[in-house]
Amino acid sequence: MPDKPLSPPSISIRLIKLLCKKELSEEIEGNLIERYLLLNEGQKSFILIRYWYEVLNYIRPYFLKSLKLKTTTTMFIFNPKITIRNLIRHRVSTFISLFGFIIGLTSFTFLYFYLDNELNYDAFHADKDSIYRVYRTSQDESGEYYDIAVSSPPFARALKNDYPNKIQSTLRVSFNDMVVKYEDKRFSEDKIMIADTNFFEFFTFPLLLADPETVLDNVFYVVMSEPLSKKYFGEEDPIGKRIELNGNADFVVAGIFTAPKNKTHLEFDIVLSMGLYEGQEWFENWWRNFAYTYVKINPEDEAYLQSAFPSFMEKYLGDDFKRTNNNNGLKIVPLADVHFHQSRYDSTPIGNFSSVIIIASVALAILFIACFNYINLSIAQSHKRAKEVGVRKVLGVDKTRLTVQFLGESTIILTLAITLSVILSSVLRGYFNHFFGLSVTYNWSDPAVQIFFSSLLLLLIITSGLYPALTLSSFETLKVLRTDKPLKSKNIFVRKGLIIAQFSISMFLIITTALIYFQLEYMNTKNLGYNPESVLIIDTDREIRANYDEFKSRLLAYEDIKSITTGSGVPSGFHDTYGLTFSEGAEDVRVHTVFADIDYLNTFNIPVMAGRGFSLEYASDSTDAMMINEAAWKATGLSKDEIIGKKVRIPFRDWDRTVIGIFENYHFKALRDAMDPQAIIMGEDMRRIAIKIDSEDRYKTLSIVEELYKELAPSFTLNSWFLTDDLRDQYQSENEQAKVFTVFSCLSIVLACIGILGLASFAAQKRQKELSIRKVLGASISQVITLISAEFFTLVMIAVILSIPLACYFMSIWLQDYAYRIELQDYWMVFVIAGITTMVIALLTIILKTYKTASGNPVDTIRYE
Amino acid sequence: MNETNVGEFEELVLLTVLLLGEEAYILKIQEELLNEAKRKSAMGALHVTLGRLEKKGFLISELAGDTKERGGRRKRVYELTAAGKSVVTQIHTTRNSLWNKIPKFALKFANA
Repeated sequence: MPDKPLSPPSISIRLIKLLCKKELSEEIEGNLIERYLLLNEGQKSFILIRYWYEVLNYIRPYFLKSLKLKTTTTMFIFNPKITIRNLIRHRVSTFISLFGFIIGLTSFTFLYFYLDNELNYDAFHADKDSIYRVYRTSQDESGEYYDIAVSSPPFARALKNDYPNKIQSTLRVSFNDMVVKYEDKRFSEDKIMIADTNFFEFFTFPLLLADPETVLDNVFYVVMSEPLSKKYFGEEDPIGKRIELNGNADFVVAGIFTAPKNKTHLEFDIVLSMGLYEGQEWFENWWRNFAYTYVKINPEDEAYLQSAFPSFMEKYLGDDFKRTNNNNGLKIVPLADVHFHQSRYDSTPIGNFSSVIIIASVALAILFIACFNYINLSIAQSHKRAKEVGVRKVLGVDKTRLTVQFLGESTIILTLAITLSVILSSVLRGYFNHFFGLSVTYNWSDPAVQIFFSSLLLLLIITSGLYPALTLSSFETLKVLRTDKPLKSKNIFVRKGLIIAQFSISMFLIITTALIYFQLEYMNTKNLGYNPESVLIIDTDREIRANYDEFKSRLLAYEDIKSITTGSGVPSGFHDTYGLTFSEGAEDVRVHTVFADIDYLNTFNIPVMAGRGFSLEYASDSTDAMMINEAAWKATGLSKDEIIGKKVRIPFRDWDRTVIGIFENYHFKALRDAMDPQAIIMGEDMRRIAIKIDSEDRYKTLSIVEELYKELAPSFTLNSWFLTDDLRDQYQSENEQAKVFTVFSCLSIVLACIGILGLASFAAQKRQKELSIRKVLGASISQVITLISAEFFTLVMIAVILSIPLACYFMSIWLQDYAYRIELQDYWMVFVIAGITTMVIALLTIILKTYKTASGNPVDTIRYE
Repeated sequence: MNETNVGEFEELVLLTVLLLGEEAYILKIQEELLNEAKRKSAMGALHVTLGRLEKKGFLISELAGDTKERGGRRKRVYELTAAGKSVVTQIHTTRNSLWNKIPKFALKFANA
């Protein structure tokens, strides 16, 4: 025999210990050890297998620990009556836990569905995995690539022709505004889609009363959304009704579609056939980029197609690229990714992924805080239950049984909380949507959602119920009955950690909220370099374009109207990007362009820096003049004198121009973006009209404009807005984020205070006798309060200190998206004030709760000693 | 065999315990069963049977003699109770009397 006695695998012994009855395990272990030695002596083969055969043969009901809870007295395994009595007896803390959970879960439910909506865009299409959207790619001034969502009509056919085996089908859609008229009802509709006839075969929008294959076969057939058909036809049968679109009365409603199950990036109310355009000359133009193109392919072919696209572009557009010095690529993006795919000229709602991540983390943080509260409160309460636990144990209840009892209490609270939250959040959904500017829908019928919420309930019960249940049930009987301090120091540590975590999250949210607001404030108040006040913008149509000169001269007759201009874009709107080729001696520059008339600079108050502005005195201006901004001038590398008078070629339009002046940089894009080179070029491209109004009563002026518009463009309705609205809309996502953060930082601080409230009252009660003796010995009320508060105050302080670097780090990342941003060090006061606020709120809560204990008459508490 | 039945395997176990005397603990019983009756049984199974017999009142047991081979664990040694002894005797007697009554040729036929 070897020196060291042979011993069987220790795991087998442990297994037996774990599973078998205590009174049997000694001999079983002994038997197994001896068996193992014998097997080894016998030099047989498969010793381990033989051994484990014996071990596993012991796993049978006869030996296993009983799952039944044995007691000497008759008691239920889980007694709901006791649970309910307990919950009612401690109604304050029941209410607090319930309240915390409901706040947390209600917000969580809303945020969950927001995320669910965002992440499941277009998930209802039957062929969603094989649908791809076609993007063009291009390079901006700094050489960075970006994607362009729109393409021209010829792409679809060329793609289908060139890759007949790979591309199963194609689809083009484009959007338009139109005036829709039925009998006396006449409205301007902005969600009108013009699509290829296979639209309803390609996508799976739920179509009523029509065949998806043929519903758009006639160019005058239209398909309407259900709500829009209600708006025009009421309860009448819409099919076969004749409607007028932009003055053309030939259209017939051929089908109705209902809202799809998920959100979709294609939001439309009416679908028209693209056949209307077919055959027109401009429709065949490769550079008329106004449509979104989709292809249906086998996902396995994606890589092949992506690699084939460069030669495809070269084949059709190579000559244009050479001529214009303007290079485009092509790529396809799976439908599932389209919602979050950043691209330019995309009028469909592009999701903000960072926003999604932020909201998801806020939702989780709120949930955590609610759970922490519950854990903290239930442990804090445990001293009240300690005697109960002790007595139960004396009566023969074992640990498992107590755990079940306490878990049951958590389950009741949580089930109640989750039910109430679901109801509450459904009731409040409208308010939420309105407040946050969202359109979140709830789909409880989705099995995935049901599974998620059931497992959430289970998870919450386990995370927030199990720990207190285990702690409570593991009290040692004697200790509990003899002394008042059943809790081990380990538990105190956990609770302190939870308090720190709660307040860190709250503080973090407060700082973030404040800084987002300051950034918004900064962007809203920053001098943009031009004057956007009282500028009315009008979206043009063909009739007003034809009558523009009359429109302008008649409006200028009113003294309230200072000036009026038209151009291809207005500040904060779209700007085309073109390459400029300077005559010798200057670098080529890619610039954002505005094709405008003579009054563009006046209307927007853009100051001229060098040279001169456009003027009627120079007859050649209307065909020869252009101005560039300071950034564009710097990019050319020429001096001021050299640049003025320089000849410039705009290859894309085939135009030659002369630089007559430089204007100061103004923010024609949102402050997120850096200052890019820009050029204002005299030339007709009337996409927008801008009217500078100088009037006390803007609405009176507005009605003048409206009347004149009606006269000059009778088949259209005026679509106008103030430039300041545009500017505000630029920061919509920031505004949304700010709102989300405000609401949830308030909620989180309320929840955190609820948590600390519970703990402080617990601490005060636990030390009641000590405090009374202190008072007898001469301590004042304030000293006593200080004594209790100090402990919690330290925790809140640690939380504050911890959260500052976290918030700093997060915000510096967040701010990186903004070319023009606030400097964190200028806003150190935010951190200080947020810290002080958090601490003061926490302190007030604690004092509120401890004052009663501290001010009580010591006799009442120590009389019995 | 009036109140409590004893199964065939149980009978073998009882006899083995009787045979082993003071050495009657599970590993030895298992070994004897294998050697004498060619019955293979896992300790777990055997243990259950022993427990059942104890419950029926045919066996008593006590924990004794921790040895090095058993890692310091005691073993359970079994002994037949009076009831146990009487039940095996009774079985034996019943069988014998049955045997005696069987005509010799009947067995012959069976063997042939």
